[in-house]
Amino acid sequence: MPLLALLLSGLKEEIRMKKESKTANKNAGDINTVPFKTRARPYLIVTPALFITIGILIPFAMAIYFSLTSYSFRLPTYSFIGLKNWITIVKSSEFWHAVWVTLKYAFFTTVVEMALGLGIAILLNNNNNRFTKILKVVLVFPLMIAPVIATIVWQLMLNNSVGIVEKLLNVVGVYNFPWAASPSTALLTAVMIDVWVNTAFVILLALAGLQSLPKSPFESAKIDGGSALFTFRNLTLPMLKPSLYIALLFRLMAALQEYAIIFALTKGGPGNTLMNLSLTAYQTGFQFQKFGAALPYILVLWLFINIVAKQIVKRQRAAQKQALGKD
Amino acid sequence: MKKRMISVLLAVVMVAGMVVGCGGGADNSTEADNTESTGNAEDFDWKAHEGTTLNVMFNEHNYSKAVISKIDEFEELTGIKVEYSSTPEENYFDKLNTSLSSRSGNPDVFMTGAYQVWEYAPAGYIEPLDSYISDASKTSPDYNFDDFYDGVIGALRWDMVPGHAVGEGSQWAVPMGWELNNLAYNKRIFEENNIEVPTTTDELLETSKSLMQFNGANSYGIALRGTRNWATIHPGYMSLFSTWGGKDFEVVDGKLVCQLDSEESIAMTDYWVQLIKESSSSQWSTYTWYQAGADLGAGQAAMLFDATCNGYFQNVEGGSAESGNIAWSTIPLPEGKTEDDMAANIWIWSMAMNADSQNKDAAWYFLQYFTGPEYMLYAGTEGNSPDTPRKSVGESEEYKAVVGQADGYLESIEVLLPNATIQFTPQPYFFECTTEWAATLQDLVTSDKYSSTEEAMKQLSDKLTDIVSDLEVE
Amino acid sequence: MNKSKGRLSAILQNGLLVIYAIFALFPLVWMVILTFKADSQMFTTTFIFTPTLDNYNEVLFKSDYVKYFIDSIIVAGGAVIVSILAGVPAAYALARYDFKKKEDIAFQILSFKFAPEILVVLPLFMIYQKLGIYDTYFGLIWVYQLISMPLLIWVVRGYFEDISVEIEHAAQVDGYSWWQIFFKMLLPLIKPGLVAAALLAFIFAWNSFTFPLMLSGTSVQPITVAATKYLASDSVHYGQMAVAATVSALPAVIFALCIQKHLVRGLSFGAVKG
Repeated sequence: MPLLALLLSGLKEEIRMKKESKTANKNAGDINTVPFKTRARPYLIVTPALFITIGILIPFAMAIYFSLTSYSFRLPTYSFIGLKNWITIVKSSEFWHAVWVTLKYAFFTTVVEMALGLGIAILLNNNNNRFTKILKVVLVFPLMIAPVIATIVWQLMLNNSVGIVEKLLNVVGVYNFPWAASPSTALLTAVMIDVWVNTAFVILLALAGLQSLPKSPFESAKIDGGSALFTFRNLTLPMLKPSLYIALLFRLMAALQEYAIIFALTKGGPGNTLMNLSLTAYQTGFQFQKFGAALPYILVLWLFINIVAKQIVKRQRAAQKQALGKD
Repeated sequence: MKKRMISVLLAVVMVAGMVVGCGGGADNSTEADNTESTGNAEDFDWKAHEGTTLNVMFNEHNYSKAVISKIDEFEELTGIKVEYSSTPEENYFDKLNTSLSSRSGNPDVFMTGAYQVWEYAPAGYIEPLDSYISDASKTSPDYNFDDFYDGVIGALRWDMVPGHAVGEGSQWAVPMGWELNNLAYNKRIFEENNIEVPTTTDELLETSKSLMQFNGANSYGIALRGTRNWATIHPGYMSLFSTWGGKDFEVVDGKLVCQLDSEESIAMTDYWVQLIKESSSSQWSTYTWYQAGADLGAGQAAMLFDATCNGYFQNVEGGSAESGNIAWSTIPLPEGKTEDDMAANIWIWSMAMNADSQNKDAAWYFLQYFTGPEYMLYAGTEGNSPDTPRKSVGESEEYKAVVGQADGYLESIEVLLPNATIQFTPQPYFFECTTEWAATLQDLVTSDKYSSTEEAMKQLSDKLTDIVSDLEVE
Repeated sequence: MNKSKGRLSAILQNGLLVIYAIFALFPLVWMVILTFKADSQMFTTTFIFTPTLDNYNEVLFKSDYVKYFIDSIIVAGGAVIVSILAGVPAAYALARYDFKKKEDIAFQILSFKFAPEILVVLPLFMIYQKLGIYDTYFGLIWVYQLISMPLLIWVVRGYFEDISVEIEHAAQVDGYSWWQIFFKMLLPLIKPGLVAAALLAFIFAWNSFTFPLMLSGTSVQPITVAATKYLASDSVHYGQMAVAATVSALPAVIFALCIQKHLVRGLSFGAVKG
């Protein structure tokens, strides 16, 4: 109930915001920081936002509506059943398990991708030779492979009967490592594939940030004789924060709703090991046809994503202002 | 005045004669039990729907590939244009569900299996075909509906009552091909290791265990499917389950009650779990139809208990490393069971018509062309689509020459076909139930979640009874 | 002493890079190797086999691959172009104008990227059917805006914010029109960011799976769904799938190589220049 109220108030807020922004734009000329007073200008911002907003608010509203019904592909008609779907999920162990899996998956992939991405970026930045010059471009390539295809390729490589990774592992005496087939290693496998595809994104952002750092503070720090770690913590990191926050934002939000990789890998198995919120919603909605019952899973996910995202963005803008101010 | 009267009279007589003549019609009675044949065979014309465009959705499969290869000929014969899409099975049904639910009439024709009918028919997505089949003006005189094997065509008939077996009711789809499940084995490996083909479940387990690592550290005894969905339950598992005497649901007081906690069910599942743990792939829980068959073909698995054509495709010339080395047996028997108890589960790839289609008659032309005797002979021989649904093709010399090359294949099917049927109880929650079933199986094999098979099956049984609890059985 | 320490550290660092490079690149190399392997040798050989061009032949000339490829180019390319045309002005306005709820609107736009695809795809499916844009280029390009526009707007906004307003004032005083200022002055300054963000937007759009799966199918078939076609139920043609995947990565690869100069610098966010 409070959830719904929150959502409704959020929705009202959004609508109010839109109205306000439209009127504000009409008066934008007064508090404009730019002297161009063409009338068309304020509408620039409205156009793309409107373009997509309608596209997203309507499906969102429809989704909320359907979550309150027994809508199912299977049944020719459906009825309004109020909060029954919502109550069911709160009481089901399936839902809480899905929440746990979602958090686990998101946590591990994001942490590894951020750490690895930043680390590689630093290494690339510190060493400027032909090798690293090539690497800087070539390391982006994994990002260009669609996650579903990457999963299929990896699965083939990890197959115990005929896969190349297995053959390489055999050389060091490891045989029949289950990878995605065992509950204890399935998450590891999924995270590994996600990391393989997406770390490049973090590397790009971190490297860009590193390469636009001003030289002077670092030179003075060197003269002052600070240790590398000190320099990193108090100089590099704060100035990198805007880039890192964006990378964190995109990766974390994507990881929270990832389902394509897991579906292609194990369809959520073994058992329920990898059934996160997204995949559970997909299964219930598209495979079992119970769309009304599936929507609460994904709506909860979206609410969580929005809250976390807002927090990160707030910090990102603050860090950006700080970085700009330091100049 | 008189002349005029006579010509009017003549005209009336002519028209009356035509009407009477039409009504008389040909007496083509086709198989359908309760529908009378209608229509005049002379009115049948392949070009009757020239200019229509049909949308067809295919699942990516050999059967559909064979159809696609002949679409040009169909277009030429009928003047109907065919637009089609072909989707891999992983995503096919999800996409099909979405398309059908929009009720837009697109696709006009779609590929489906028997289990999907239990969902789609009650939802009103499929058009019953009886009236088309028995209408001589809509069906080619060569169609010969009786030619289909009874078990195969019957499995696509259902009366839409949950709990009622297939075989009665409307004809919802027409078959493209079917699959039974049996044991395929690598005869070269058996010969080299002096092994006899197992005929009982005890023998199977022993043989399978003895064949672990027969070809290096990654090879194993028997390949089985294990992914977290219905595809894992319905082939080998369900066939042995039914042979063992297990049943999924029983009708009790107008409701469906799950029987997965019965003695036979627990014993069989326990056996199956043991078979996997001790002699199947270390990655069983990610194995689809393809990985299981590929391992047999690559010489990494000595046996395969799965769909008949799975091993067949590996065995054809150039199909895999072990082409020509695969042979077939029937179903290993549990204690106390005989050949008569062998109850193979049957899966039928078929085509159905969208109830919202705007081109139903044209769609029926498509359906009958690609399940007609001429096309099916091509499919069964050159089209690499074994397991033909038509007796005329199955008994033809050409078909036997091609498919008979597979050692023991046709013989095994001959033994299994009489008792083969859909072993599941038809109900619309089939996919949800079998997915839970597969997930439980995975838990039993890969984890310690349950202290015993009995505990797992009891919990599963309660869960499934709950899932189907809102269904009324008349 | 310092020099040898430095050299040791350099070797170590480069060594780590080599390890990561192997991890990142080996699957790609292997995928390319697969494209030359025949199905019959797929599971029995590793690196030594008889290469064949059959897979390429099958995929590029005998199947509809080229059509899917072109579909993807139209849809992903179109989406990026639309994002640029609508997004850059929006980014400019978000950077220059100061009005209430500016940050909220900017956040809203960003949040489109995070909307779970499963959430929107069913309602969109219904809407698209009603509007008649199901299975059309227009429909896909529109829905792709959800994934291509947000990052683009945010990166470009960062660039605009970096550019001092004084420059524009000065140019205006000198008598330049707004268009001239925009194209001759601003555009070159935001080029690295615009181009790098466009590449990422292109990659996101190109790799999208759920939207093309549900919102198109017969007339428009982007490559991501089509590539999995080569994994039929009956016989999986890994070689052909590898060809499909490799060739489908080419546009992004070429794009990246063309803009490599800007690629790294392009994605800085308000970090200082100098």
